[in-house]
Amino acid sequence: MTDAGGASGVTLPVRRRSGGRSRRWLLVACMLGPLLGFMVVFYAAPFVYLAQESFQSWEGEDEPKAEPTFDYYKKTFQSSRTSRALTRTFRISLVSTLIALVICYPVALLLIRAGPRQRSAMLLVIFISLAASLIVRNYGWLVVLADRGPLNALLVGLGFTSRGLRMVYSEGATIVALVHYVMPFMILPIYGALLRIPDSYSEASISLGAGPWTTLRKVVFPLSMPGVFGGTILSFAICMSAFVTPLMLGSPATAMMSQVAAEQLLVQQNFPWGSAIVTILTLATFAVVFAYGWVIRRVMKADV
Amino acid sequence: MFEDRSFQRVVAALGWTAMAVLVFPVILTILVSFNGSQFIEFPPKSFSMDWYGNIAKINKIGEATLLSLLVASLTGIFTVLMAIPAALAIARHAFPAKAAIVAFLLSPVAVPMIAIGIAILQFFVWTGLPFNWITLLVGHVVLTSAYPVRTIVASLTLSNPSLEEAATSLGANRWTVFRTVTLPQLTPGLISGFLFAFLISFDNYPISIFLVRSGVTTMPIEVFNYISQQLDPTPAAFSTIYIVIVSAIIVFVERRFGVISLSVRG
Repeated sequence: MTDAGGASGVTLPVRRRSGGRSRRWLLVACMLGPLLGFMVVFYAAPFVYLAQESFQSWEGEDEPKAEPTFDYYKKTFQSSRTSRALTRTFRISLVSTLIALVICYPVALLLIRAGPRQRSAMLLVIFISLAASLIVRNYGWLVVLADRGPLNALLVGLGFTSRGLRMVYSEGATIVALVHYVMPFMILPIYGALLRIPDSYSEASISLGAGPWTTLRKVVFPLSMPGVFGGTILSFAICMSAFVTPLMLGSPATAMMSQVAAEQLLVQQNFPWGSAIVTILTLATFAVVFAYGWVIRRVMKADV
Repeated sequence: MFEDRSFQRVVAALGWTAMAVLVFPVILTILVSFNGSQFIEFPPKSFSMDWYGNIAKINKIGEATLLSLLVASLTGIFTVLMAIPAALAIARHAFPAKAAIVAFLLSPVAVPMIAIGIAILQFFVWTGLPFNWITLLVGHVVLTSAYPVRTIVASLTLSNPSLEEAATSLGANRWTVFRTVTLPQLTPGLISGFLFAFLISFDNYPISIFLVRSGVTTMPIEVFNYISQQLDPTPAAFSTIYIVIVSAIIVFVERRFGVISLSVRG
């Protein structure tokens, strides 16, 4: 079809091209069809139904449905349990993402600096921790932070405390385990972005008299923004929707949004309220993700 | 910038501390699993393998693990089978609303898992579809399908489309081109996509908890229930076995297919 302007005539290639195009679209439709169809039926449609359900009023099993209402959205912000869970979820997600960024950036720097054997060993450890069950990893933190666990043994041994501290079942324990959970999701994109920065950039900066910290701040970090953006977005979204981790390491008093939604659905059987809570959670996560992307692109003028 | 000694030292100190934090809970879990004490205690006072025998006492652990293996395997197979043609379309063809369709297919990663679970639960109740292990499979396919799409697209963008054109111009038909040229190129993406889908499904709790009904149960649900009711180190023994098996799989797959470098680039 590259001979569109050939001497053999103008009409024939044009007709052939348009016929080819519709055949190609048919082919593309067949290729995308199975997955797209499945996702429309079992992912998009359920979410539309969920959103619709959140506007219903709850009248028990067999009652006829009343007019659409915003009651459960108002209730989510008015009820102290759900509104506190919302602010707590934001706070925990922000803090966890920031801590993860601060401790993971040096790991990514080490990875580009490391020799091939050391690098593949480190990547292997990161991948194994990514693949190890979330429940298994959270259980590991229950062990580490236990009343008579290793961290308390260390604190008592160093004389910081005489009887050991209560660390499990708290907001702090939840944050520690969440940071641990998102570390691979933070390290890998930043490492990927650092790999794309030519060594000559930082060499040029150093030879022009900038110190290593200035080079990191003014050259390397801004150029690694796509990775930082990807890693922080993913980590934040994971923390916002955390369910198992606060369930295992927190307490009912430190419940996050997913937990209060599950309470309404599984315990209270209040489907409209549960639906409203997860809809708010999903929209809040997406809103932050979009706002963050906008700030990074427009205000910081980074190309991500 | 690593020529500067103090800079190098600070980065190394921070980086290695973070790596230590990453492996710390795993190593301690393994130590505790051999502890003779009834409670989680450190340093361990006696040695015992009893907790490994005790794994059998986790409620329904045998059948739950078998069901989890079945669902995870089928999730991996179905997602990969549907992702291959979709990824080919995304990587090799232009089509209308492409950006929106790709964003839609990749979006389950960013949506709260329990929202997916709740949405599918209500959808099944509304449409009157039966609840059994296939319900679980549907939920897990929705959750994981984005991963094989990503990894296979990554494989395809790294490979060279002109090889396919060359095969076609040398007279090979579509199917032969796919089998002998395209498929070998996307194998690493296919393997890592399957692995991601399998492991995420095998480990899932937040979606499964909404989709299991009478009698059907999965490994993470039973382990979670045990942890929330008992304080003994049985889950540590279970975790140790889990980590050993997963590590072996990851090491093997990495040696054989070089999956890690692909995921970093993808």
